[in-house]
Amino acid sequence: MAVLLACGVMRAQDQAPAPADRGGAVIATVPVTTKVVTAQRAYEMGMVHREEMLYIDEGLDFFRESVQADPQFALGHAALGYFTPDPAEARRETALARKYASSASPDEQLLIRWFVGTKNGDLVPAITAMNDLLAKYPLDKRLANLDAEWLCSNQYAYEHGEAILTRVLQYAPDYDPAMNNLAYCYALSGQPQLAPPLMEKYVAALPNEPNPQDSFGEIMRMLGNYPAALEHYRKALQINPDFVSSQVGIASTYALMGNEKQARIEYMKAMNGTKERSTRLGYRMLWAMTFYRENDLARGRAEMLKLDEQSHQAGLVVQNAEIHRTMALFDRSPARALRDLDDAKSDLLASKKLLAGDRDLELATILQTRAFIAAEAGKTEAAQAALKPLEAMSQTSRSIPIQTSYHAANGAVLYAKGDYAGAIAELQEDAQNPLSLKLTADAQSKAGRGADAQKTLTQLAAISDERVEVAFARPQAQAALKKEMQQTAQVGGAH
Amino acid sequence: MRKRSFIACLLLVASVATAVYATDFAVVVNSSNSVKSISLADLGKIFKAKTTAWGNGKNITLVLRDPSSPGTRFIIEKVLGSNFDEGKAILSSPGRKSTVPVVFAESDDEILKIVQGNPGALGVIDVYNITSGVNVVKIDEKQPFDPGYILKGR
Repeated sequence: MAVLLACGVMRAQDQAPAPADRGGAVIATVPVTTKVVTAQRAYEMGMVHREEMLYIDEGLDFFRESVQADPQFALGHAALGYFTPDPAEARRETALARKYASSASPDEQLLIRWFVGTKNGDLVPAITAMNDLLAKYPLDKRLANLDAEWLCSNQYAYEHGEAILTRVLQYAPDYDPAMNNLAYCYALSGQPQLAPPLMEKYVAALPNEPNPQDSFGEIMRMLGNYPAALEHYRKALQINPDFVSSQVGIASTYALMGNEKQARIEYMKAMNGTKERSTRLGYRMLWAMTFYRENDLARGRAEMLKLDEQSHQAGLVVQNAEIHRTMALFDRSPARALRDLDDAKSDLLASKKLLAGDRDLELATILQTRAFIAAEAGKTEAAQAALKPLEAMSQTSRSIPIQTSYHAANGAVLYAKGDYAGAIAELQEDAQNPLSLKLTADAQSKAGRGADAQKTLTQLAAISDERVEVAFARPQAQAALKKEMQQTAQVGGAH
Repeated sequence: MRKRSFIACLLLVASVATAVYATDFAVVVNSSNSVKSISLADLGKIFKAKTTAWGNGKNITLVLRDPSSPGTRFIIEKVLGSNFDEGKAILSSPGRKSTVPVVFAESDDEILKIVQGNPGALGVIDVYNITSGVNVVKIDEKQPFDPGYILKGR
């Protein structure tokens, strides 16, 4: 793996050679400065593990090690705050990054501004900082890869991400993280057919690493080819039996195939293979969701309630809210579902541990779900009550997801009021959300646009990922399409 | 993008699930220009060449991408509040050279270079291409990504 050139106050004595181009010239990369050699080394290892080898938990541990070694290492705090899935840790680390940023070198300060700004929604200065860095370090492939990954996965700016990654692969054709990310960028931007050739290259470039096979598995699952997905995930585990994400990939593929019993066995293996408590809780939630998937609502709720207790005790606020949201979605009693969402909202608002951005994002998701459930149940007032705070949030937040949640909730309210044309227009602002797709199809159907409803249902039925919204809405779409096909066949037979 | 720890994925799905692809466009001026914010109405006057100079006396030059590009089409319609053909006619009128000349550039990079080199230039670029070489100007006190920002593209 390429290693960043460190040129700070003190350099790691045993660091790897600086990256060089094919002619042997040293390639300039963003400097990493810290007075503590072990902190710098741990940061580098964090980047290699988290960003390049994709050993996620190990990467995070290295970043934590880096800031333990040098508590004033601003870039280490910024990276940890950016990458951690734990909102409380993100809040603490971004605050520390800001606190110590002035002691970092000017270019590091730009990278810190990007890490912190993208996390907190200060996007104009963040984008400016990253573009300045890319102009100054045009061959820093890791930097470019980091930016492109953010553009594609967080901002949906696929053309920008694809352009950056394509350029990286021109000057560094063997840089495998860019192959991986470009494949995902294509898949996410609706060009999945372009992804498998890149995955072939990625696998060939790293035959002894599990992630290429793991990514290939995920791409094949996104394409709906479950047998191929399982095959690639298994190959990843043959290379490294501890590569937990492939174990989860197998479990979720079985879950999407409808084999929930096998999915639970596989999720259990994943839980036993991870030490990160929030990650383990996430796997446990997926395990519990299999009961909902097989329509055992009572068992699903019972298992989620156990997790509610665990997450509450562990102070995992967002996860706790997600547990309540899952229970609400699958509850046949709208009144109880809305109470679950009220609980989630109260806990979220009471927490002092979260970054405001993380809290608002989850709150918007809860309110959107509330509007959806209320609209489906014909409870117009409840839907409007969910919309009101969301509207206020959308008027002050720069977050695209919050804006979109507002439109989706507004669509739900319009649906409940019987304004189907208005509902469709609003819900289409949220075209990747299974709940909005379901409501869109319902609205199209009620508006007499049967062919459009079929298309929307087909789109929904083809989504293959682990989200609770997919677990909830996809089977309904599949059942509706099946029923439609049967009716069509019967009409054809009668003629 | 690639495999993540699950809870990151779980948190992200909430955002992925509710997100749409949107590109905001940024109004940029030379870094020597002290203007921080402009009203949409005043921006429209510049596009229409009714305002020809900044408060410091520098003559304004408008720099946009090719008028046939979808982004420029969107910008013209939003800023001028007219249909595209009317807007294009306003920007392409022969008399512009002596009022507010309009330069149609091949790329955002070219727009940035022109704006950086011309103290009176005003350009409009994709927000993901901004650099510190230019100043981003707010429109009606809102900057790109702000709720209600007028040049929020899709």
